Amino acid sequence: MKFSFTQDQRLFAEGLRDLLSKQCTPTHVREAWENQTGHLPDLWSRLTEMGVLSMLVPESQGGMGGTLIDAVLLFQELGRAAVPGPVLEHMAVAAPALAHSQWAHALNDGTATATVWVDTGPYVAHAQVADLILRNDAVITGFSSTDVHGIDGGRQLFTISGGSESAASAQVFGLPASDVMALASAAYLIGVSEAMIEVAAEYARQREQFGKPIGSFQAVKHLMSDALLKVEFAKAPTYRAAWSASTGSSTALRDISMAKALASEAAYRASRSTMQVHGGIGYTWEADLQLWMKKSWALMRAYGDATYHRRRVGASVLHG
Amino acid sequence: MDLNETAQESAFRSEARTWLEANVPTSALPSFDTAEGFALHRAWEQKLYDGGWSAVSWPVEYGGRDADYIMWLIFEEEYYRSGAPGRVNQNGIFLLGPTIMEVGTQAQKTKFLPSMASSEIVWAQAWSEPNAGSDMASIRSKATRDGDEWVLNGQKIWASRAVWADWCFGIFRTDPTAERHRGLTFILCPLDLPGITVRPIAQLDGDTGFAEIFFDDVRVPLANTLGEENKGWAVAMATAGFERGVSLRSPARFTEAVKRLIHLWKTYGDPTDTALSDAVTDAWMQAEGYRLHTYQTVTGMLEGRTIGAEASLNKIFWSEMDVRIHEIALQILGPEAERMEGPSERWVDGFLFSLSGPIYAGTNEIQRNIIADRVLQLPKGM
Ligand SMILES: Cc1cc2nc3c(=O)[nH]c(=O)nc-3n(C[C@H](O)[C@H](O)[C@H](O)COP(=O)(O)OP(=O)(O)OC[C@H]3O[C@@H](n4cnc5c(N)ncnc54)[C@H](O)[C@@H]3O)c2cc1C
Repeated sequence: MKFSFTQDQRLFAEGLRDLLSKQCTPTHVREAWENQTGHLPDLWSRLTEMGVLSMLVPESQGGMGGTLIDAVLLFQELGRAAVPGPVLEHMAVAAPALAHSQWAHALNDGTATATVWVDTGPYVAHAQVADLILRNDAVITGFSSTDVHGIDGGRQLFTISGGSESAASAQVFGLPASDVMALASAAYLIGVSEAMIEVAAEYARQREQFGKPIGSFQAVKHLMSDALLKVEFAKAPTYRAAWSASTGSSTALRDISMAKALASEAAYRASRSTMQVHGGIGYTWEADLQLWMKKSWALMRAYGDATYHRRRVGASVLHG
Repeated sequence: MDLNETAQESAFRSEARTWLEANVPTSALPSFDTAEGFALHRAWEQKLYDGGWSAVSWPVEYGGRDADYIMWLIFEEEYYRSGAPGRVNQNGIFLLGPTIMEVGTQAQKTKFLPSMASSEIVWAQAWSEPNAGSDMASIRSKATRDGDEWVLNGQKIWASRAVWADWCFGIFRTDPTAERHRGLTFILCPLDLPGITVRPIAQLDGDTGFAEIFFDDVRVPLANTLGEENKGWAVAMATAGFERGVSLRSPARFTEAVKRLIHLWKTYGDPTDTALSDAVTDAWMQAEGYRLHTYQTVTGMLEGRTIGAEASLNKIFWSEMDVRIHEIALQILGPEAERMEGPSERWVDGFLFSLSGPIYAGTNEIQRNIIADRVLQLPKGM
């Protein structure tokens, strides 16, 4: 029994953090919001070069040949930077699921962008910038999309009409696309939560009222400690879910649901505490905080919310 | 990452399971907060020791098995699964023992560890005072040097199991001119010496589970000092970190409680009440989450990382989870939960005890302060 990541896994994640700290600052994320696509083509090329987008594609198909254990810390790093665009959908599901299809090459080298449409919701995120949509056992191309105004400018939402379908597999490591998306978004939400807590802690060190930093007030301290508690205790379940998913464990779906339920709730708690600690500025468009908060409010609903996933866990542990 | 047990770990698990199945008393012992129950629990500890199971993570020379932390967790899982008695010498084996191994002299190790492992000597923790609870650094009980002895004076309170324990480990002010956490010394003291008065205190359940200890010119040799003189705070904090971090409440306690909760829900719960089934599921997730978190922490320790202030996160998590598990059980039991016996007995008892979890081992408010100051690096408030 060994519950830790390898040196290589940690170093790769650090490398990604480094890249994102330069290429995906809040200014970049705002650019994606403002260019009306929720997408950053430059960043996309960097992620392609680094091998992030093809992490789960087998080496024989031109990918990095990684497992979901290799990928889970990367999802988390992507969340820390609130990376906009279809990065999870492309990386976690479309690229590996279509690794043996005619699309494989274009998906790996970044010339084609894919998103995913799963049954947990009626909308398709990122459809406008996607060349193809993976939907159950089909690939849809040539569709038209209508913006339904998602809350997160980095995750634009659409309904889809028209287009043509061709048969495809929507399984990744033998798991349904919706579950892999739930796992990836759980890890991403942990990163989002970490970032929010860091931003709030930094603000609480700087901002002074009554002649003292607000972080010295106990009400503020306890709000932040409780937020951190939820995030820290969502991590191990999320990493375990990645392990279960990678090893074909019979509890993989249960474990993924546990991760998504906990991470969704942790992210929500972190968003509330972080906003509260910011006072009035937290309620403005100007504060960067919204880039993470809205990401958390979007992804906690997408790919099954906490109630949906808790009931899936319940179905397994109460009646199993 | 490999969450499967190794062959060695599985073999260890089945060895523990076999021994426990053959040796665990078939009916529950009376509470160790009674004279009779205390004696029976001590006898059980002796049996565990004879089987080599009382302190599995300790070195073999002191009565342990040199098991690593993962194996310790496995043993704990088997221990709770078997329904074995509570650990009456918990404060010795899991709290003081590791501290002696870390900072004790060779003579202290030889003298104290084997008798601790066998529970020939049961230990009580004498830190809190009437006016030094959360604010432990304001300890006033003092130790004054006289030749090669300490002379102890003062009063300790809330010392668990001190009514029947044999020795205590206390913290005393040895430098009267030093302030706060400076000038304190960690001293080991028998509880039957002249000048000691132990006054039992009845807990919420009516049993005398803790006690006040009065020291009136009590003499102990200087050799009973653990760690350096005037550095008792650091010694105590090392112990407290381990206590909160891993050893005080192992995950198996809660995963087993949740198994019983699910059984209770299946027996008495209204299956159409989704709020209730969600709550039971949530309790399962919390216990499972705590288990996973602990395995991750312990792997980190085996790889050379130390646990610092993050230990405070664990303490809040398990204590609040324990209250929650019991609240849900009482909700399932409905009107039966008003009774102290019948189907609810164990749950009502457990509920009462769970409420002390957010208080002992440093209140949860204090833990939140520690997390904010040391993990989140927020400015000090006091
Ligand atoms: C069942 C049980 C067993 C125990 N066993 C032992 C034992 O074996 N040995 C031993 O030495 N002690 C033991 N204790 C004592 C325990 O450690 C103390 O009760 C605890 O540290 C709190 O101290 P206090 O009771 O003086 O409460 P106080 O410190 O007076 O606290 C009262 C309230 O004020 C809050 N408070 C205090 N200071 C702050 C602050 N700075 N910020 C925010 N809130 C604050 C506390 O959180 C609490 O809610 C035990 C207690 C219990 C309940």
